Amino acid sequence: MNTLITVSLLGIAAMLSEVFRFKKFIQTVFIAAVTGATGLAVLDWGTSYSYFRFMVLFDDYALAFSILFLVLTLIWLLLSQEYFCNENTRADYFALISFSLAGAIILSSFSDLSMFFIGIEILSVSAYVLAGSNRSDIRSAEAALKYFLPGAFSTGFLLFGMALIYGATGSFNLSNISLWIIANHSNLPVMVNAGVVFLITGLLFKIAAMPFHNWAPDVYDGSPTPVTAYMSTIIKAASFAAFYRLFVSCFSIMADWWTPLLVIAAAITMIGGNITAVYQNNLKRMLAYSSIAHSGYLLLAVAAINQLSKPAMLFYLAAYSVASLGMFTLVNRMGNEQQLDKLKGFAHDNPFYAALITLLTLSMAGIPPLAGFFGKYYVFLSSIRSDLIWPVIVAVIASLIGVYYYFRIVYNMYSKPAASAHVVSLSGFDKSAILITALLTLLLGIAPALIADII
Amino acid sequence: MTLTVFYLLSALSVFSGLMVVLSRKAVHSVLYLVFCFFTIAGHYLMLNAQFLAAVHVIVYAGAIMVLFLFVIMMLNLNLAAEAQKTPWIKISAVILSGLMLLVLVASVKGAEELSAAQPQNDIGLVKNIGNILFDKYLLPFELISLLLLSAMVGAVLMGRKEPQPQNE
Repeated sequence: MNTLITVSLLGIAAMLSEVFRFKKFIQTVFIAAVTGATGLAVLDWGTSYSYFRFMVLFDDYALAFSILFLVLTLIWLLLSQEYFCNENTRADYFALISFSLAGAIILSSFSDLSMFFIGIEILSVSAYVLAGSNRSDIRSAEAALKYFLPGAFSTGFLLFGMALIYGATGSFNLSNISLWIIANHSNLPVMVNAGVVFLITGLLFKIAAMPFHNWAPDVYDGSPTPVTAYMSTIIKAASFAAFYRLFVSCFSIMADWWTPLLVIAAAITMIGGNITAVYQNNLKRMLAYSSIAHSGYLLLAVAAINQLSKPAMLFYLAAYSVASLGMFTLVNRMGNEQQLDKLKGFAHDNPFYAALITLLTLSMAGIPPLAGFFGKYYVFLSSIRSDLIWPVIVAVIASLIGVYYYFRIVYNMYSKPAASAHVVSLSGFDKSAILITALLTLLLGIAPALIADII
Repeated sequence: MTLTVFYLLSALSVFSGLMVVLSRKAVHSVLYLVFCFFTIAGHYLMLNAQFLAAVHVIVYAGAIMVLFLFVIMMLNLNLAAEAQKTPWIKISAVILSGLMLLVLVASVKGAEELSAAQPQNDIGLVKNIGNILFDKYLLPFELISLLLLSAMVGAVLMGRKEPQPQNE
């Protein structure tokens, strides 16, 4: 709760910084507050308090995800230094980021459907604006519109699902809903099933899983690169945290009924996302499709819904997000020329950082002993424990397809540059971002228990 | 008496709802829609949900429909500019709406009968809503302000003029 309050106040402080003229220090304030909020979350560890009449429950799950969002935001700040350069918009951007962080924390800790809805709306509304924040670029405006319309539409699905669930069970509280479903398990009214389908549809939209992924590539491609990095890491992690929390605490008793839906969606997403990514020549678009494919693996963890899937999801999200932030640092530095062959000669100029980026790419592809491998390992383990054998086989095939296009990035970095080509060069902040993400990837790969065993 | 008012309001709302779809001019449609919202607000009043009725009139009939009118007037819609409908579109529309009708009829036919909820006469009064909003739902109520703030910051960010670069 303290974390949530700190982050909410930070957003308001960021807005006030414009009025009270401490805009110059807002970044320092932001870093201090986010670090402080992380500390507060760590201090609460092991306790499990419910606040405000069971509206939020800060258990270890909520705290672990809150810490993940906050730490990812701190790393993300390194790569988005230039995004905050403009004095006129800096305070607004910081305010929006803080608000969406607050939304993410709500999404990891809600224990009431009304809080779930508010969290997802705070997160999405700030993301719509951030997607369109580069006003000189028409593609950014297009991205904002393409994000907003499906987003608003999927919110409608979510609301309708929540209304049906409320109509059947008579409560917004997650544990009351769960108790009601357990009590009436033998003859559930169709309303509950319809509500679950609507909730799944809305959430699949939000996490950009196939067949509801159509908005994602254009939005990821058109948004300013730091915003894309933010969307594909923190916002995705928050949506998954909410997805799992909702389904594990409300509908786990009727899992047999909705698991097939998620498994099919996961299988299509993994295969479709990876195959489409193979055909991309633009690095940013390739990462967008790879992000869709990773949603598929995570969906598998949600579908497995057993003891192992909670740590599997947390670990996978941490491993994927860290590697993804490192990759987006490179994309950000490529500017408007994000073709893969613009990377040629990068290794010749920056051998050390090319090696680190190779490491991140291998982690995303799932090569042992890096973090990405253990993420996949945990997800597969929890799926097999729930007897989801064929989806795991599909997932392994999809990963093999994935290896191909991840190696294209490495291949291009180590090829010789064209004669007069401009080679990407990194700033100091970029270097530290890549270094930190690579070190974290190595650390999580060597000692996966650091994260996997805590919840 | 109440039943008469109910039937009158229902007839009016069905009529205005049909006219929204059937009238040829966009502005007329919007005005019928406003009228439809008012009749629905009347239904809320009859259910003793005064707060809902007031919000419905202010938000839907007031704010959103005015926005609709503005957009329609800005786009300057007229019949000549209307997109041509090819026969294929018409056929697919007919098939789709037929299927929709089939599903609707089937679902109504197969629906299980739920017992009517006990009417609570005072549930929609402003006082009760205030009580529950500031007691049980205090945290969501406060956090809504974050949502509104971020929407506001977004609107200002999107809408304001880009300042000219100054030469210093």
